[in-house]
Amino acid sequence: MSTFFGLETAKRALAAQQNALYTVGQNVANANTEGYTRQRVNLTATDPYPAASMNRPAIAGQIGTGVEAGEIQRIRDKYLDVQYRENNSKLGYWTAKSDALSKMESVMDETDSDSSLSNTMEAFWESLQDLSTNPEDVSARSVVLERGKTLTDTFHYLSETLSQDKKDVGSEISVSVNDINSILEQISDLNKQIAALEPNGYLPNDLYDKRDILVDKLSSYLNITVETEKSGGNAKANADGIYNIKMTAADGTSVYLVQGSSYNSVEVQNGVDSDGDNIIDSPPASGEMVGITVGGIQFAVSDANGNVTFPQGKLLGLIESYGYQYTDANGNTVEAGTYPEMLDSLDKLAYTFGTVFNAVHEKGTDLEGNAGTAFFTFGSLTDYKGAADAISVNSSLTYSKIAASANGDPGDGSNAINLASVEDFDLSSNAVSLEGFSSMLNIASLGLPFTTGTINSNYEGIIGKLGVDAERANNLEANSSSLLESVETNRQSVSSVSLDEELTNMIKYQQAYNAAARMITMNDELLDKIISGMGVVGR
Amino acid sequence: MRITQSMLARNFLNNLNTSYSKLAKYQEQLASGKKINKLSDDPLSAMKGISYRRTVAQVKQYEDNFSEASTWIETTNDALDEANQVLQRIRELVVEGSTDTETPSDRQSIADEVEQLRDQLVDIANTKVNDKYIFNGTNTTEKPISTDISTFDGSTTLGINNNPVKIELSKGIYLQVNADGSKVFSDDLFKDLKDLISDLNAGTSANGFDRYLDKIDAHIDNVLSELSQTGARSNRLDLMKERVSQQELTATEIMSNNEDVDIDQVYTDFSVASGAYTAALKVGAQVIQPTLLDFLK
Repeated sequence: MSTFFGLETAKRALAAQQNALYTVGQNVANANTEGYTRQRVNLTATDPYPAASMNRPAIAGQIGTGVEAGEIQRIRDKYLDVQYRENNSKLGYWTAKSDALSKMESVMDETDSDSSLSNTMEAFWESLQDLSTNPEDVSARSVVLERGKTLTDTFHYLSETLSQDKKDVGSEISVSVNDINSILEQISDLNKQIAALEPNGYLPNDLYDKRDILVDKLSSYLNITVETEKSGGNAKANADGIYNIKMTAADGTSVYLVQGSSYNSVEVQNGVDSDGDNIIDSPPASGEMVGITVGGIQFAVSDANGNVTFPQGKLLGLIESYGYQYTDANGNTVEAGTYPEMLDSLDKLAYTFGTVFNAVHEKGTDLEGNAGTAFFTFGSLTDYKGAADAISVNSSLTYSKIAASANGDPGDGSNAINLASVEDFDLSSNAVSLEGFSSMLNIASLGLPFTTGTINSNYEGIIGKLGVDAERANNLEANSSSLLESVETNRQSVSSVSLDEELTNMIKYQQAYNAAARMITMNDELLDKIISGMGVVGR
Repeated sequence: MRITQSMLARNFLNNLNTSYSKLAKYQEQLASGKKINKLSDDPLSAMKGISYRRTVAQVKQYEDNFSEASTWIETTNDALDEANQVLQRIRELVVEGSTDTETPSDRQSIADEVEQLRDQLVDIANTKVNDKYIFNGTNTTEKPISTDISTFDGSTTLGINNNPVKIELSKGIYLQVNADGSKVFSDDLFKDLKDLISDLNAGTSANGFDRYLDKIDAHIDNVLSELSQTGARSNRLDLMKERVSQQELTATEIMSNNEDVDIDQVYTDFSVASGAYTAALKVGAQVIQPTLLDFLK
């Protein structure tokens, strides 16, 4: 055993405690860093002296040789990461839906706003009632004409605003796709760096943290699973390895988004490249979203039965809001989604209202004694699609051509009452009785897109569905947000830096350092005794 | 469970945000006076609100229709009353003219007065209210009597329109508001008056003047019958008006219950939430606890 054995042990202790102190410093420094995982130095005792062997020195037992800093490890629970990412996908999905529905709600403002569709309908109805009591009055007639125009303007406004909002969601899809691809690229880069470091026995904790932040971010867009692959070489047992990130659809289709140092770009099927980077990131120029392609594999939004199969996440929430299409079992293209459905409903409503109104108007007689003409026109439409945008008051209609009379006399307002009743007509009826006419109106034969209920009840249905959908999305957003919050709390409990803890550790390591230094002094004194104090007897 | 500073800060922020958004919600409700400010706040109430608001608007519109109807009925009533008085005066003149002591010149002056009264009847028939002729059925833009009445002898017809003018007073409930002009101002009336005037001018009547009394009485009965119908309509109008204003009251109340905030309730909630918020802030100041650092020398 060497004379300097004690010095060596103390020196090792100094180095190890210093190492631990620096790690405390790193933890304290990053106490508020987003995504930082606290680190711990695993101190291990070095091999004792002498090693067991046949010709070991004859000393009693083995003497410890000190300490070394084994490795610096992140304190993290992988299982919590899995939970976090699952819930993050749900939150991303419901946030996207809730945002789109809230926006739509404020456009279709039906909570007592003067400009709402039901209020303009009501104003039109009131003008028709006034007309029925003063059918020969020019001002009453002009008001009907103007209120009719206001009603068509409201249809146009709603249709245009919703279409514009839909386009905005389309650009958000494009931004999301680009963001996803950028995240995938960064993760694959990090994989590459990690794969270069790990085989040499390093634990690149800060790269791990960066990579985990990116995977967390990716999980809000898409529901993904992370598979790890060991690096090989002299990689430590605690090394995280390479992340292979997989996306699986409900129908079993799956693809690796990231595999080692390579990644597959996410692109919009049949879409448009909006920024010239050779990544197809925007929804198709015509029609709705069909799906997403990753590395040549297609992920359809929905199957032939209309069940959504695309993995949950913000991207799906955006696609469902923007609108998607699928081919059903009969080979027909079906369009679905929040915006297309609302626009479709408005078209149906405008077409139904305009057509029934025209049918009643044409039965009446105007102030000049001529039969009524069409009150509303739909441009060159062949069916109801696009009616909300196309509906307008017949341009050749003057106030005197409003057919308010049933019997032909200018003072008869019976047909104005019929016109006012249009919104309450039973749309399934083939014999609606009209005031002042003996013949019935066959609404069922008009070929309307709505075949049951009344115009009012159908509109209330549309608004009710919007309200319920928005309420559901808001509730589920709040739910998944609080679930995510509780997982995040658990994660923080494991991984975040506690200053008290670090300071306690600091004291612990500092005292150990001081004690080791004292050991050196003690050894020094021992040696000094031998060197300076011995062999000087009697001097 | 291991609790760290960053967790405390995070929790504190979350809770603060929750109580702040509650404050915002109550503040919005108090400011707007409405329980529901978005459809998704309460889709069911919001949907009910649409139909309640429609009911209220409709009831208000029907109240406008009521005033229109009552203008019609009142003016018709006044005009018929006047027509009745004119006919009563004619009857008195007939009685006077049939007296044997009347000289031919007396009868001529009676004829002059009857002629004036006849013209007054034509004026009454052509009564115009709000630019509408009220005794020409639904043909309100044309005079009911446009022919020269002094030459009218019943060989042609006046052609007064007898279509009912109806006003909707409640969903599907109509009230006829005009009187039948063709009954009150009948062809016979003016033919009889022409005969009477020419007989009076002639000073004699083939079958005596008494026979005109029965005829005038029949015409007076026509007017009285229309007058009583108009009175009955006026009563019905009053009854319905009462009912509709009751309806408006009920509909407005239901609508208000459905969507208006209970100020006391919301204000109390607001105070509670505001207390919770202040408490959260105070606790927050405490939560940012001194660390061990503060005690290390």
